[in-house]
Amino acid sequence: MGRVLVRQVLFLLGLAFLPAIGQALYYRGTASWQQRPVDSAAVSVEEAKNWGGAVLWVDARAEEPFAKAHVPGALRLDEDGWDTLLPSVLAAWSPERKVVVYCSRETCNASHAVAERLRHEVQLKNIYVLQGGWEEWENKK
Amino acid sequence: MTALPRSKILERILAIIVGAVFIYAGFLKARDPVHFASDISNYQMVPWSVGVRFAFYLPWLELVCGFALVLHRFFSGALAITIALLLAFLGATAWARIHGIDVSCGCFGSAGTNLTLAWHLAILAGLLLASIYLWCTRERVRFA
Repeated sequence: MGRVLVRQVLFLLGLAFLPAIGQALYYRGTASWQQRPVDSAAVSVEEAKNWGGAVLWVDARAEEPFAKAHVPGALRLDEDGWDTLLPSVLAAWSPERKVVVYCSRETCNASHAVAERLRHEVQLKNIYVLQGGWEEWENKK
Repeated sequence: MTALPRSKILERILAIIVGAVFIYAGFLKARDPVHFASDISNYQMVPWSVGVRFAFYLPWLELVCGFALVLHRFFSGALAITIALLLAFLGATAWARIHGIDVSCGCFGSAGTNLTLAWHLAILAGLLLASIYLWCTRERVRFA
């Protein structure tokens, strides 16, 4: 029984390779294989500060850290409270404003997820992710 | 034609549900492997060069296992891989949480963005329990 199970597992693992190799060949010219593509929509703290009042700050962290401190004027928007929080962001948004989303630190993903949804679901333009997040903002104060 | 006993009907239904979820999840990820590579990279467990290769392979493995479970072919092998994948997904999520990495699960591609992490974990745990039940009640294996 053990040998048959191992043969089945190997067969299935091998079977999945065929379409995967085909797809990898299809993407070979477009996918980045060695390092993560640079996020062209990332912005540094200094650059975002230079934009002044043209920035709509969006805080993608949880309620508790937001309540403790946040970028002045920032509005909270995370994936858990998306439907409830989005209307206030849209009310503050205008086409000429740049939206800068941040989360806790460089390694967090919430800002990327929120920025992506704002771009693709809400179809907003000029969406940026703050490099280094809140941690970097605090360092550059 | 002999009718399946009730317990076997339950097992078939469970296998179809688990298989269908894997087909759905695999299809969503296979549509956009680069996005899935970003999801893997966010966990910071493997370098990008490794993660992107996983991203091209894992969705197809999920599809193959999903179809095997639904069609009841290579059943034990598919079930063993399914359980291993679910344990890996749950382990990776727990690892990220322990290390304070704020990740969305990435388990269901772009469709999963509407689910909270708690829901992702609940779905994964449910699938794992169903798969373990199927493993314990499965028939002796033949190759196909």
